[in-house]
Amino acid sequence: MTALAREQWPATIGRVLASVAFVLVLWHLAALTVAGSYMLAGPVVVAQYLVENSSLIWRALVVTAQNAAWGFLAGNLAAIGLALIVLMIPQSRMLVASVALVVFCLPLVATGPVLRVLYGPGPGPQITLAALSVYYTTFIPLLVGLRAAPGNWFDMIRLYGRGAWSAFVHVRIMAAMPYLIAGLQVAAPAAFLGAMVGEFTGADRGLGVLTLRALRALNVEATWAIALVAASVSMVAYWAIGWLADRITPSRPEILLATTPAPVRGPMAQRALRALVLGLATTVIVVALWWLVMEAFSLNRFFAKRPDDIWHYLVTAPNATAHRAALWTASTATLVQVVPGYLAGLFLGAGLALLLALLPILAGGVLPVAIALRSVPIVTTAPLIVLALGRGAVGTITIVAVMTFFPALVACIQGLRQAPGQVLDLMRLYATNPLAQLWHAQIPAMLPAFFAAARLSVPAAILAVTVAEWLATGRGLGALMAMTASTSDYNLLWSAIVVVAVGAAFGYGLVGLIERLVLARVAPEQLRR
Amino acid sequence: MAEPMSARGPEIVCEAVTKSFGDGPSMVEAVAPLSLSFAAGQMAALVGPSGCGKSTLLRMVAGLEQPSSGTINLDGETPEVLQRAGAFAMAFQDASLLPWRSVQGNIALARRLARLRADPEAVAEMIARVGLAGFEDARPAELSGGMRQRVAIARCLVTNPRVLLLDEPFGAVDELTRARLNTELPPLWKATGTTCLMVTHSVREAVALADRVVIFSSRPAEIVGDIAIPEEARSDKAARLALAEEVSVALAQGWDEAGTAERLAAQ
Repeated sequence: MTALAREQWPATIGRVLASVAFVLVLWHLAALTVAGSYMLAGPVVVAQYLVENSSLIWRALVVTAQNAAWGFLAGNLAAIGLALIVLMIPQSRMLVASVALVVFCLPLVATGPVLRVLYGPGPGPQITLAALSVYYTTFIPLLVGLRAAPGNWFDMIRLYGRGAWSAFVHVRIMAAMPYLIAGLQVAAPAAFLGAMVGEFTGADRGLGVLTLRALRALNVEATWAIALVAASVSMVAYWAIGWLADRITPSRPEILLATTPAPVRGPMAQRALRALVLGLATTVIVVALWWLVMEAFSLNRFFAKRPDDIWHYLVTAPNATAHRAALWTASTATLVQVVPGYLAGLFLGAGLALLLALLPILAGGVLPVAIALRSVPIVTTAPLIVLALGRGAVGTITIVAVMTFFPALVACIQGLRQAPGQVLDLMRLYATNPLAQLWHAQIPAMLPAFFAAARLSVPAAILAVTVAEWLATGRGLGALMAMTASTSDYNLLWSAIVVVAVGAAFGYGLVGLIERLVLARVAPEQLRR
Repeated sequence: MAEPMSARGPEIVCEAVTKSFGDGPSMVEAVAPLSLSFAAGQMAALVGPSGCGKSTLLRMVAGLEQPSSGTINLDGETPEVLQRAGAFAMAFQDASLLPWRSVQGNIALARRLARLRADPEAVAEMIARVGLAGFEDARPAELSGGMRQRVAIARCLVTNPRVLLLDEPFGAVDELTRARLNTELPPLWKATGTTCLMVTHSVREAVALADRVVIFSSRPAEIVGDIAIPEEARSDKAARLALAEEVSVALAQGWDEAGTAERLAAQ
C-alpha cells in the first residue's frame, strides 16, 4: 500500500461508516412508517433476529457458500475450457458461443427440480446450478480477452520463429487476465444466486431453504435478515475478487462484458442464410448433447425426457394441442410481465447513467453503490419486493426491472466514460453545451455497453420473472414449472424448459440484431472490423 | 543454446515481390512488382508517403506477411529459416512492450524467444547502453514515450540480431529524444555488421543514419529514387543537411519530373 493510500484510510473508513449509518437511519424510518404491514422489518429487529438465530444462519451460510464455491470453480473451469477450444479452433467460435448461450438460457428454476431428481439428495443440483449461472459471464469476456492483445505483440513472437504456444504463454494469458477477472467478479455473486436457487428445489439445508421457509411463514424479520446476509456475502465476494485483482493486474481497464458484434455485411439473403445455418447447427448440437447426456447416464425416461419425448408431447401426441395451449397460456402470462420489466429496467438504468453524465459530481458516489447492488442476488431481493409490492403484476415487473436496471446502469456509466477525451475537449473548446456533447460523443460511445447489458439482461430477466412467478404470483411459466415439478408432470416441465431456453436465446439474438442495425446506422466505428 | 555464430548481416534480395490485400472489388494493391537488394551489413532507409507500402515490405522481409507473388531471400534462405535461427529483431512504431513485464523482463524475454541462454549481465549492459540504468524494474506504464522506445531498441539489440528492422521506431518520440537516439543508437548496430532496414518519414533522418536511401512512390509502392550516401557526406554535417534538403525539395516537386535522382546519385 502506498503512503498516500495509508493516509487516506481513516477518511475512507469514515465515509463508509457515515454511509452505512445514513442507510440504517433511512431503513429504520421506513420500517416505522410501514410498521405492522408485513412489508419491511427494521434494522433493530433484523439485528435482533440475526443475533438470536446466529447459529442457524451461520450453518446455512456455510452450506450455501460451499456449494457456491464449488459451482464457481466448476463453472469457471468450463468457461476457460470453452474459451480455449475457441482459441484453438477459431472457426468454432460462433457455434460454441451459440451452444453456450442456449445452455446459459436454461431456466434455473426448472432445471433445478430436474437436477434434484437426477442427483437425488445432496448438493449436486446446487453446485450444478451455481456452475450454470457463472460459466457464460466468464466465457464471453475471456473470449474477448484472449484476442485482445495488440497485433505487434504477436508479431514479436512470430519474428523469433515461435508459434501459438509461445504466444499463449507469453502474451495471451496475461493479456486476458483483466477480462477473466472481470468475469470472475460478476460470477461470484451469480454463483451464490445459483446455489440458492438450487436449494429451493428440495434441499434440506442452506440460505435458500431458510428463505423459502421464511417467505411461506410470512416471517418478515427472517426474510430481511437472510436477504441482508446473502447480499452482504455476494458483495464481499465481488469486492474480494476486485481486491485480489488489483494486486495481480494493477492497471485494469474498464471491461465491457460482451463481444463487439460483427458488422451487418453482405446481401440480406446471404445474411439470413448464414443465421439459419448457424441456428440449425446450434439446434442439432444442443439436441444431440441433450440426448447423449440422457443416454450416457442411462437416466430413467420417466423424469429424464429425451428430445423425441418432447416432440411427441407437443406435436404428435393425441392431446398435443392441449399441451401446446397450456404452454402458450403460461408463456403469454410471462411475456406480458417480462417485456415491460426488462424495458423499464434497461431504459431507467441508461437514463440514470445519462443524467449522471450531466451531473458528474453524483456519478462518483452512485457507481460504487450500483456495482454493489448489482451483485445482490435476485433470490434475495425478490422476496422483499413481493413483501413490499404484493404478488401482482407490479411486483413481478419490478423484480424484472431491478434485475436489469443495475447491470444497465453500471454498463452505461462505464460506456459513457469511453468517449474519447480529446473529442470532449474539442467540444468544450467550442463551448458546446453538455447535451450536445452527450448526443454527439458520449451516447455513441455508450451504445456497445448499453447493448452488452441489454443482451446479457435477457436471460437474467427471464430468470427474474420465473423466480417471481415461482415464489409468489402463481401464474406464468415459473409457476407452471413449479407446479409440474411438484406433480411430476415431467413432459410439461421439460417442454417449459425448452420454451424458456429457446425464448431467451431468441431474445438474445433479437437484441444482437437490433444492436448491429443501430450501431451500423449511428456508430459504425463501434462494430468489429 | 549458444549465441548466434556472428551478427554479420545477410544480403537481402527481393525479386518481383508484390503484395495485395483483400480480393475482388475491395482488393488493395500495397506493393507493385518490386525488385531490389540490400548488401550484407547495409543500413538502408525506406522513405515514402504514408500508406505507400514501406511497412508492408519490411513485414514481408521479416516473414510476418507473405508476398502475393515474388520471392524474398536472405543469404539464400527464406525469412522463416532466419526467424527460427533468432536472426531478426524489429522495432515497431509503438514500443509494443508487454505492460506486465518490467524493463529488464521485456528485454530478457527477447533472448528467451530467440532461444538464447538467459544472460542478466547482457540485459543489464543493454539497459545501460540505452541510458536506462536505474529503471530495470520499472513497468512500461511508468516510463515516458522516449524511454519506452529505448527499451524496445534494447530488446532488439540484446539478441545480437543479424537483421534489424525498424518501422518508424522514433515516430512517436519528441524531437530532442529523437535527435539523441539518432546519435547514440546507430553505432550500436553498425558495430556488429547487422543488415538494417529502417522505415521513416523523415528524409533528414534517413540521410543522417543510412548508407542508402530508397524512395517509394504512393501506393502501390514503386521505387522512384535510390541514393547511396557516401560515408564522407554522413560525417559532414553541412553536406548531410544540404543533401537532405535537396532530396526533400525534389520529393516535393515530383521526383521524376525534376530528374534529380540521377543528379543526386552523381553527387
